[in-house]
Amino acid sequence: MLEVSGLTTTYGAIAALRDAHLTVGEGEVVGLIGPNGAGKTTLLGSIAGLLPISSGTISFDGSDITSTAPEKILRSGLALVPEHRRIFSDMTVEENLKIGGVIRKASERAEMLEEMAELFPVLRDKWDTAAGYMSGGEAQQLAIARALMSKPKLIMMDEPSLGLAPILVDLVFELLETLRSQGRTILVVEQNATRMLEVADRAYVLRSGEIVADGTGQELLARSDLFDTFVGG
Amino acid sequence: MFPNARRDIAFPVIGSLVLFAVLFGGGMIYQTILGNGSAERLVTTMLVDAIIVIGIQIYIGNTGILSFGHIGFGAIAGYVFAVYAISPEEKLKRIPSAPFGLSDIQVSPALAIAIAVGVTLVFAFIVGIGLARSGAQSGSVAATVITLALLFVTHEVAKSWPELTGGNRGGIAFGIGESLKGRTPILAALFAALLVARIYGQSRSGKLAIAAREDNLAARAMGVNPLVQQMIALLISVAVVSVGSSLRVWQIGSILPDRFFFDYAMLTLVMLIVGGRNSVTGAVLGVAVMTAARELARRLGQDGFEIFGIGLDEAPLDWVFRENLNSVVLGLAMVAFMIWRSSGILEDWEFDQWLYQKIGRGQEVEPQRLAELDSVPETIFAASGINVSFGGFKALTDAGITAAGGEIVGIIGPNGAGKTTFVNVITGMVEPTEGRFSIDGADLSGKPAFELSRNGLVRTFQNLRLFGSLSVRENIEVSALVANEHRADRTIRDVDSLMAEAGLWEHRDRRARELDYGNSRRLELARAAAMAPSFMLLDEPTSGMSDSESLTMIEQVRHMAATVGAGVIVIDHDLGFITGISDRIYVFDQGQVIADGTPAEVQANPHVQAAYLGSAAIT
Amino acid sequence: MSELLQNLIDGLGRGSIYALLALGVAVVFGIMHLLNFAHGELITIPGYLTYWAFNNGWNWWTVVPLIVVSAVITSLIIERVAFSRVRGASDFTLLLTSFGVHFIVSAGFLLYVSASVKPYPRPTWFAKTLAVGSLNIEVFDLVVIAVTVVVLAGTTWLLQRTMFGLALRAAAADFDAARLMGVKSDSVIRGAFALSGFLAGIAGVFWIMREGQVTPTAGINPMLQGVLAALIGGLGSLRGAVLGGLALGLAEVLLRSWLPVGIQNLTTGFVFVMIALLFIFRPGGLLSVPQVERV
Repeated sequence: MLEVSGLTTTYGAIAALRDAHLTVGEGEVVGLIGPNGAGKTTLLGSIAGLLPISSGTISFDGSDITSTAPEKILRSGLALVPEHRRIFSDMTVEENLKIGGVIRKASERAEMLEEMAELFPVLRDKWDTAAGYMSGGEAQQLAIARALMSKPKLIMMDEPSLGLAPILVDLVFELLETLRSQGRTILVVEQNATRMLEVADRAYVLRSGEIVADGTGQELLARSDLFDTFVGG
Repeated sequence: MFPNARRDIAFPVIGSLVLFAVLFGGGMIYQTILGNGSAERLVTTMLVDAIIVIGIQIYIGNTGILSFGHIGFGAIAGYVFAVYAISPEEKLKRIPSAPFGLSDIQVSPALAIAIAVGVTLVFAFIVGIGLARSGAQSGSVAATVITLALLFVTHEVAKSWPELTGGNRGGIAFGIGESLKGRTPILAALFAALLVARIYGQSRSGKLAIAAREDNLAARAMGVNPLVQQMIALLISVAVVSVGSSLRVWQIGSILPDRFFFDYAMLTLVMLIVGGRNSVTGAVLGVAVMTAARELARRLGQDGFEIFGIGLDEAPLDWVFRENLNSVVLGLAMVAFMIWRSSGILEDWEFDQWLYQKIGRGQEVEPQRLAELDSVPETIFAASGINVSFGGFKALTDAGITAAGGEIVGIIGPNGAGKTTFVNVITGMVEPTEGRFSIDGADLSGKPAFELSRNGLVRTFQNLRLFGSLSVRENIEVSALVANEHRADRTIRDVDSLMAEAGLWEHRDRRARELDYGNSRRLELARAAAMAPSFMLLDEPTSGMSDSESLTMIEQVRHMAATVGAGVIVIDHDLGFITGISDRIYVFDQGQVIADGTPAEVQANPHVQAAYLGSAAIT
Repeated sequence: MSELLQNLIDGLGRGSIYALLALGVAVVFGIMHLLNFAHGELITIPGYLTYWAFNNGWNWWTVVPLIVVSAVITSLIIERVAFSRVRGASDFTLLLTSFGVHFIVSAGFLLYVSASVKPYPRPTWFAKTLAVGSLNIEVFDLVVIAVTVVVLAGTTWLLQRTMFGLALRAAAADFDAARLMGVKSDSVIRGAFALSGFLAGIAGVFWIMREGQVTPTAGINPMLQGVLAALIGGLGSLRGAVLGGLALGLAEVLLRSWLPVGIQNLTTGFVFVMIALLFIFRPGGLLSVPQVERV
C-alpha cells in the first residue's frame, strides 16, 4: 500500500535520513522504532509531504506521491498524527474534529463525528471545550480522532505516547489494539520499543538516519544486538 | 574594539576611499560628457542621497530591522537645520512668530548641522527605547510599524505646525545666494559617512549587532545584549542621516513636509535594497543603479525624447513612456527584487573585505595545538528544587543537579522526561515556578540569557544556531569580543588557536552556513569555548550524528573543555555517548531526577532501565 | 455629559471603519505573517472606480456594490501577482513586497490618471444630523456603526460556523497542521485575501463617501490606520484588531475635543505619542498573543 524507496532527507547540511526503504501492506500495523534523533519524525514528515526530500520515491495506493503537497497526500487517503499532536488549541473539540473531516461531505462528516464520539467517550464529555484545556492523554485521543475523521486508508502516528503518564501510555496502546482489530492500516513511530513490538505486525529500526533492521516484533525482540539501540545506546 | 587592525581599520579606510572615488568619479564623468546644469544637479542629488542611504544602511544592514523612520529623523534634522541656518530676514517672511524665539536666531551652517544632529539624536534615543521595548529584532514587524508611525508623526507635525515649519505649502527657504554652492561639504560628508559605516561594521559593536541580526537567540547566548547594540547602531545611523538630510535641505535651499515623506523613504529604501542592504558597497551600488534607472525612466517619459532616432511620443509604446514613469520604476524594482533576489545585487559582499582576502592578509600559519590547562579554577554550578508547571501540567518536580569546575556531567532521560525544560530553565528561556540555580553561590535564576553567559554558563543549541552569513572566524570572534569584556578573569584562548583546535582551520574564511554538519557542530563548540566559560552546556551535541562521529565528538568535547578549563553539562538522548563522556550522570524521567551517579552505577539501576524500556521491562 | 456622548458616537463611527480595516489586516497577517502595507490600495482602486462611475452616470446605489466587489477582486489580484510569489519568505521580504505593491499602484495612478484630486459627489444624506435631545448625531456615523455591527456579526458567523471559517482559523493557528487535515493552502490563503478585501470594501464604501475625492496616495491613511489598529490590538488577534480600531477612533475624537484650541491640529501627532506609550508599557498590544520562542 505504502512503498518508500531510497528516501533521503536533509536539513541544510544535516542528512537526517539516508536511503530509507520501507513498505506497509494493507491491514498491517507497522512500527518504526529507534532512539531520539534517529530520523523517525523526519521519515514520517517526508512521507506526509511536510519536508522537502532530497532523493527517493514514495508511492501510495499505486500512485506516486513523491514531493506532493501535504493536503493532496491527505486527500489520497494517507493521514498523519503529527509529533506533539499539534491540535488547534483555541478551537473546541468539535471544531478540531470537523477540521479533520474537512475533505468529507457535510453529511459524512456528521456521521463521522458521531462515530468518534462513540469511539472516544472522553471527547464527547469535552465536546465544546477549547482543546487547549485538555490533558495530554485527551489531546492525544483528539489528535488521533481528528486524523480518523478524514477516513484515511493508512494512518501514520508520530510518538502517540510521548509525554504521557504510564497509565495513559497504556491507554494509547489499547487504542492501537482497537484500531488494529478494526483492520486499519497503521504506521507508528514509537520510542517505547518493547511495547510497540508487542502490538506491531512488523517493525523497522532506525538509527542515525538509517534503517538498520526490520522484521516481525518477535524477531526483533529476540535480537540482543539491538537492545542497545532500544535503550538509546 | 577591533580584532584585527589591518582588516578592520586599514582596509575599510582604503575601501571607503575607493567607493568614494568610484561614485564621485562616475558622477563627474557623466556630468562632463553631458555638460549641462541638469546633469550636474543630478550628480549632486545622487551624492546627497548616497549619504542618507549609507546612514540607513548602518541601521537596517547591521540589525536587520526594516525602518521607514529614518526619513522621519531626516525631517527632524532638516527642519532644525533650516530653522537655525536660515537668516532672520528670510524667516520673518515665512515664520515671523516661531516659538522659542527661533525667528531671530542665525548660526553658521556647520553649527546648524551640529545642532540638527544633536536634537535628532535625542529623538532617536527615545524612539530607540520604544523599539527596544517592542522586542525589536531582525525582521520584526512591530518595530517596522513603529518606524513607519514615526515617519507619519514627523510629517503630520511638520504640516500642522506652520509657526515653526512654514506649513504644508510655503515651507521655509533660504534667501537667494544663501543655499549651498559647490559640493565641498557634501563630498566631505559622503566620505565621512562611508568611513563611519565601514568602520562601525567592522567594530566590536557592529559585529555584535550583526551576530544578533543573524541569530538573536544565539547572540544572547553568547553574552550579547542585542538591544544595546541596536541602540548604538540606531544612534550612529541617525547621526549620519541627520547630516545628509541637513545637506539635502541646504543644497535644495528649502524644506517642505513632503520632501521627507513616503516617496523619499521609498526611494532611499529601494536604493538600499537593490544594491544589497547588508553591505555598504551594496548601498553605494544601489544609489548609482537606481539614480541611473530613474533618470533613464524620467527621460524616456519626457515628451519629445528620442532613442536611436525614433521618437517615443509617436511610438506605440506611448502608454508606457510617460511622465512619472520613474516612480513606477521604483515600485517595480522593489517588488521584483523581493521576489527574485531579496538580498540585493551584492548580498553582503563588501569590497574592502574582498580586497583584504585577496591582497591584505599575507601568509597565515596554522597555530600550534593548545595545551590543556594544568589547574582548573575551582567553581561550582548548582541547581536545586526546580519546579516548572505549564498550566496544570507539571513539567519538572524538584529537579536539581550540581557540577564542579572541570567535571563532565551528563543528563539523560527518555523523550518527554523534562530534560529540555530543565535546559530551558538554566539557560534563562523558561522561568521556573520555584527553585534557583547559581554559580559559586551567585544566584542566576531569572537573569536574561546574556547575563548567564557573561557569568560563565555558556550553551550550545540542539538544532545548530550559528551566525550564518559570518565566516567561521567571525563566529568565534563574536564570543571572543564578549569574553574580553566580561570574562577577563579567566583564561581566554585566542580565536585562531580555537579554530585550529576544532579542526576548522582550513574552513576559517567560509561562511558558517556553508559548513557541513560535523563542522557546524564543532564550530558551535569552539564558539562556546571562546567565551571562556566556567561551564559549557551542550544541548544534544550528537543529534543527527553517526556513531563514529559521536565517538570523535567525545574526545573533542573533553579536550576543548580542558583547554579553557570549563566544566561541561551535557544533555543527550544517546546513552552510549553520555556514558562515554560523563564523570557523573543524572537520569530524568517524568520531570524528576530518578537516579544519579557514575555511568556504571546508573546503567545498573533498574529504574533507569524501566524508564527506557517501558514498564514491561521490570516485570 | 452630552458632549462626551456625542464624542463617543463620533469616535465609534470613526473607529468602526478602522476596525474593519484592521480586521482585514489581521486576517491576512494571521494566515501568512504578512503585514500588508498594500491594504490601502483596496480603497484607492475602488476610489478611482467610484470617480469613473459617477462620470458615467452611476449613482450610489450601484457604486456601493462596485466598491465592495472591486475591493475583493483587487485583493485577490494582488495576492496572485505579488504575494503568492513570496509565500514563506522572511518577514523583511514580505514587508517590503507589500510596500512595493503600494508604491506601484499609487505610481500607476500618477502615471495613467494624474496627480490631481478627482472629486465625486457625496451621498445626499451625508451631512444630515439627527437631533436627539441635546445631541446632534450624524446620520453617517449611525449608518457606519450599524453596518459595521452587521458585518462583524456576519464575519463572526463565518469564522465560527462555516467550514471555511474553521479552516481559516486552523491555518492561522498552525498552517502545516491544517494542511495535514487536507485544508488546501491555496484556497485558504485566497479565502483570507477575499475576506480581507471584503472587509476593506465595506470600510472603503464609507471612507470613499467621507472623502468625496480620490488621489493616487489616498490609500496611505486607511492603510496606516488599519495597520496601527491591528498592532494596537495585538498582531495576530482578530478580536484585538476590532478593539484596536475602536480604540484608535475614540482616541482621535476624544483627544481632538480635549486638546486646547491652539494645538488641535496636532491631534494625529498626539495619537501617535499615545500609541508609542502603549507599546512601551504593553509591547504586545491590548490583547497580546503570547510569542513562544523556539529553540
